[in-house]
Amino acid sequence: MNETLTWKDHLGDRIPEDLGREVDIFETEIELRRQGKIDEVVFAETRLRRGAYGQRYDSGQRFDGKQTQQLAFPKANTKGPNTEWHAPGMMRIKIPFGGLNTVQMETLADLAEEYSDDILHVTTRQDLQLHYIHIEDTVDLMRRLAAVGITTREACGNSVRNVTACPLAGVCNTESFDVTPYSRALARFLLGHPDAQDFGRKVKIAFSGCRDEACGLVNLHDIGALGVTRVIDGKTRRGFEFYVGGGLGAVPHQAKLFDEFVSEEELLPLSQAIGRVFARLGEKKNRARARLKFLVARIGIDEFKRLVLEERAILPHDARWTSYIQGLDSDDETPLRPGQALQGLQLPEGFSEWFGTNVYQQLQPGYVVVTVYLPLGDLTGQQMRSLAAVSRKYVKDTIRTTVEQNIVLRWVSEADLPTLYTDLVDIGLGGSAANTIVDVTSCPGTDTCKLGIASSRGLAGELRTRLAEKYHSLDAAVQGMRIKVSGCFNSCGQHHVADIGFYGISRKINGITVPHFQVVLGGKWKGNAESFGLAMAAVPSKNIPLVVDRLTERYVAERQGDEIFQDFISRVGKRDVKAMLDDLVQVPTYEEDPSFYRDWGDTREFTIDDMGKGECAGEVVPLALFELGAAEREVFEAQILLDENNFSGAYTMAFKAMVAAARALVRSQFLDVSDAPDTVIAEFRTRFVDTGLYFDTYAKDKFARYLFRMQEEALRNPTRDDAHRAIEECQLFIEGAFACYNRISDAAGADALATA
Amino acid sequence: MAINLQKINIKFYLAENAVPSPEEAFRIFSQWIPLTTDEILIDVADYRHVARGPKTVLVGHGANYTFDNSDGRYGLLYGCKIGTQGSNAARLRAAFAASLKACVRLEQAENTVSKPRFVGAEAVITINDRLHAANSEATLEQIRADLESVLDDLYAGAPTQIEREGDARQRFTVRVRVEGDFETADLLANLAASGAGAGA
Repeated sequence: MNETLTWKDHLGDRIPEDLGREVDIFETEIELRRQGKIDEVVFAETRLRRGAYGQRYDSGQRFDGKQTQQLAFPKANTKGPNTEWHAPGMMRIKIPFGGLNTVQMETLADLAEEYSDDILHVTTRQDLQLHYIHIEDTVDLMRRLAAVGITTREACGNSVRNVTACPLAGVCNTESFDVTPYSRALARFLLGHPDAQDFGRKVKIAFSGCRDEACGLVNLHDIGALGVTRVIDGKTRRGFEFYVGGGLGAVPHQAKLFDEFVSEEELLPLSQAIGRVFARLGEKKNRARARLKFLVARIGIDEFKRLVLEERAILPHDARWTSYIQGLDSDDETPLRPGQALQGLQLPEGFSEWFGTNVYQQLQPGYVVVTVYLPLGDLTGQQMRSLAAVSRKYVKDTIRTTVEQNIVLRWVSEADLPTLYTDLVDIGLGGSAANTIVDVTSCPGTDTCKLGIASSRGLAGELRTRLAEKYHSLDAAVQGMRIKVSGCFNSCGQHHVADIGFYGISRKINGITVPHFQVVLGGKWKGNAESFGLAMAAVPSKNIPLVVDRLTERYVAERQGDEIFQDFISRVGKRDVKAMLDDLVQVPTYEEDPSFYRDWGDTREFTIDDMGKGECAGEVVPLALFELGAAEREVFEAQILLDENNFSGAYTMAFKAMVAAARALVRSQFLDVSDAPDTVIAEFRTRFVDTGLYFDTYAKDKFARYLFRMQEEALRNPTRDDAHRAIEECQLFIEGAFACYNRISDAAGADALATA
Repeated sequence: MAINLQKINIKFYLAENAVPSPEEAFRIFSQWIPLTTDEILIDVADYRHVARGPKTVLVGHGANYTFDNSDGRYGLLYGCKIGTQGSNAARLRAAFAASLKACVRLEQAENTVSKPRFVGAEAVITINDRLHAANSEATLEQIRADLESVLDDLYAGAPTQIEREGDARQRFTVRVRVEGDFETADLLANLAASGAGAGA
């Protein structure tokens, strides 16, 4: 045993070089933040772009990296104040299109046990999340993920988030074609892409293979691609019905049709062009109106399309546009075992019910998709490891997470179902309620999210328990309904598209805060989130189970023929529905029933005093500021090299940092400038020195001359003094760059005010 | 080079019919947060819906306390999360002391319906660090002397059985069994009497 062994050493070249470098950079940034050399706002954005979120807590104490801090704590029996940067947080792990293999599952299991609280959580966008991760553990966590082909990069922040896709893609009975490879290609293309780094808000992308089902949820995404085919010149060609500007959040927008047919070759460049237009014209200062949906709404879909196509026309050619999608029509998934029908075997207890809810007949005869039901999207590390072992017995890494917070195993031979079911029961994952009203979806809510108002998970857990108990007595039409819960109006639980949706609010009753949920009706999950529901009534949290009972019972009693729930609600009318809930809106006094003043799953008195600033949106840090931060990190690395007596390395790194800082400024005017030092320096001289923009009041262009001199000298064998001086000059140059940027920003702000 | 034992987890089982409900566990842990001053406790996580696993977790900055039934039996799982100083034996003692201190605190908690009681004669020790402590006989042999020394103090010389569990993919885990009945408060006192137990 070697006590100095690190995961970096242990994994070695199993960590891809580019991902390894990313993690090394983040490790340096954590150290700089600890030393107070990175501003919290910049550090927040950099950690968010790597998937590291802050969390909401209950404590009145925090360790801030240096010492324990006593924080304002309203009352002993309520939740506590906000977190500080060093407090353990959430790690979001991107799983493009939800695709997992068994080695990745085992690694995720290990990470949950070693760094988290032993729980893996599947999100409503096919990500996985681990909670309570110490910031210093994040780098080893990222390295271990990188070694199995997973990155957390851009899982949060104002970036392109996880690219989702229908979990049935490739085996679905109603799809045009398998959209999986295209979602993989686009996710790969946009990861770290320069044209996807300067957004005012996040961008969410989804793929679906058919129009009528729910799985892809194209209509509620910033960019949605719906697979379609078209006969062109006698040949069937693949393409996408392409949508933009959809989104949920406080103000949901249905996506707008951008083009009825975008060819597969145009998928990547068109998405890149959209990124450029969004970066250029999207709102940056007002986060509440910074999503793409607001830009599309503001300028109109026609003008947006014109601008995007104009941008597309001038994009420098990129070979990846076509290389990433070559050969995508070949099926890369194969079964492990021959497809055979389920035959007259003796079936285990509970199998029939499970078969009815958790099994989907694939397009391919003899094969099925099995949904592993995860209550509230959670499973333990050991369950994930065991599920990997079970998966190996039946399928070849054809495993995906779903937006309904479950995991599916694809290409299961029907004949294997009884033994698979028994294996799942043995590991505590044989639940039979998948894809039913019991399978309630929920965002984290007040459990861990700083924006949460009411306990979405607490409510979801309570509804799940109650509905499971009476599932067999429910009408079939009710059994198939969906309930989705969000802790606030931001709709991470996707309440707008549920049959019955809820989102958390609060109300003051006689001066005391009471947890409530808005009841949202009218949403349609099918048809790729065909319609969004509207809030009908604010009901105290404790009465929400009664709301579900009342709505579903009346639906069953008055349903006409095969009338679906949304049509029933529409026929009955909002006025009548609201009247149905009138008595449930009432809140008894505290003395009459104090339980109304507590939230589900929490024994303490309710409060929203501990709400904080949301992390979902990230910090809006201009690209230049972000890149200047990276230059600062490089000069810090130069110091490390100097300490290691690597004078040449330190000198070179200092020069590199100066060029990076110069490039950051240049890119604020000329986005496509190359990273060749000579080009960067020439552009910097022309744009910032010759124009006087870089001039300091006292030093004038002194710091810029440091850069020019280093470029000319380019010492081959610098001494310690040479390296030391280079670092000092580099730091001054970067300071000058920050000052320059601030002056330009201030002037731009003043101009904007003057013309407002 | 010697093994560096960090992230030590210790689980003591609850006696049958003395298991707090999820509501009670949540209430007790929530009360601990503002009342605990010698360590930073930050949140309570409720996982009652998970079939076998952590049911209620009191999350701390340096350690977690979990009502756990991952192995099908309820107990209190103490999990140290950050690096600590001292010899391996000192770290083991500190982990046992912290674990037992929490058990005693639970047993002495007022207004509990479940009246939690722990079985002192059995404990599970897990090293939550696959990199430095593989689940192997070699690891057990490296820590055996330190572990036996701590157990000797803990159980006042009573003979103990140490058995390694799980396969190579799992974390290093040993189960300790002792004949007889042992109160957690007595075990904590034994550690203190040995001169090193209070430093948790």
